[in-house]
Amino acid sequence: MNSRHPQAFLAADAAGDESSVVRNYTLTAGRTRPRYTLSLDSVLETGPGRPGPALPEECVRIVSLCQQRRRSVTELAGTLGRPVSVVRILISDLLDAHALRVPATTTAPSADPTRQLLEALSAGLKARWPDAVSYAQAG
Amino acid sequence: MPFPTPRQADPAPFSRGREADTDKPAILKIVIAGGFGVGKTTLVRAVSEIEPLTTEEYLTQASAPTDKLHGVEAKDTTTVAFDFGRFSLDMPLPLELFLFGTPGQDRFVDLWYDLSHGAIGAVVLADTRRLEASFTAVSFFERIGLPFIVAVNQFDGAHRYPEADIRDALDLPAVIPVLFCDARVTTSVAGVLLTLIDQALSQASTRPAHTTLQDA
Repeated sequence: MNSRHPQAFLAADAAGDESSVVRNYTLTAGRTRPRYTLSLDSVLETGPGRPGPALPEECVRIVSLCQQRRRSVTELAGTLGRPVSVVRILISDLLDAHALRVPATTTAPSADPTRQLLEALSAGLKARWPDAVSYAQAG
Repeated sequence: MPFPTPRQADPAPFSRGREADTDKPAILKIVIAGGFGVGKTTLVRAVSEIEPLTTEEYLTQASAPTDKLHGVEAKDTTTVAFDFGRFSLDMPLPLELFLFGTPGQDRFVDLWYDLSHGAIGAVVLADTRRLEASFTAVSFFERIGLPFIVAVNQFDGAHRYPEADIRDALDLPAVIPVLFCDARVTTSVAGVLLTLIDQALSQASTRPAHTTLQDA
């Protein structure tokens, strides 16, 4: 199954810049699967470790971005301009190096949001944008 | 409609031995689904604190039937680009809202499934010039039981259909709100989000407590 994926990477970028294909392949050292399950909305913060010297500069950048604030997998991938699949592998390396960690309690939404959170979000939106109205009743 | 199998990988390691991060905002997310050019990025930009990011993901999927006719056995890998934006609220609770804008074609259903998990709900952003482009998204969210609303982005010069026609065209049940918006205008977009939250609240009071996506 794994043997398929290097070609898959190439195919996916066939229309794109050839150097980015090579770079994505180099970044992951040919790996195609992340070690950890990371959702698109999983958030990461920095841990006590440092990225090892063997890790690419993109890893240093990920850690630096997460030092400013915790960031989602999607935001990191979008900021780096790299596909999520590639960034998931880099994040897995950084988790192994303890340079990143998943915050203890504020993980990505994994269960349906509670009524309390929905009501808080609604109140917060109305406070931020007092002119905004829900159309639910109008329909 | 095919559902993807879960990824085989270890769960990400959670931080241990630390007190709960109760000061950290809770994260909520909303999916914005719509066809190409319907204004998803514009809508995300209207409320996001960061310039919307375009993020790429590879999707591996079974070849379309047309490929099988040509004897192609390999799975296709396509690249899908989706939008990401976010904003934070301090009052009454520290919250962070993630907005994911995703393309409307049914070949991206794996991505919708991923993004829908744990989401408040979805805004199906529609364009009256191409209403049929929203049909797949509507039936997907209906099927998985995710709260959703239909927001019609009012383009200048586009014919303004009555709500009943849109409802008819999309075969929408009466309980699904349909509203008109201007994706460029922040308060209009905030109104769309408020409508979705109301819809999620009303659906939460009627649906069973432990509905999972797999049950759909």
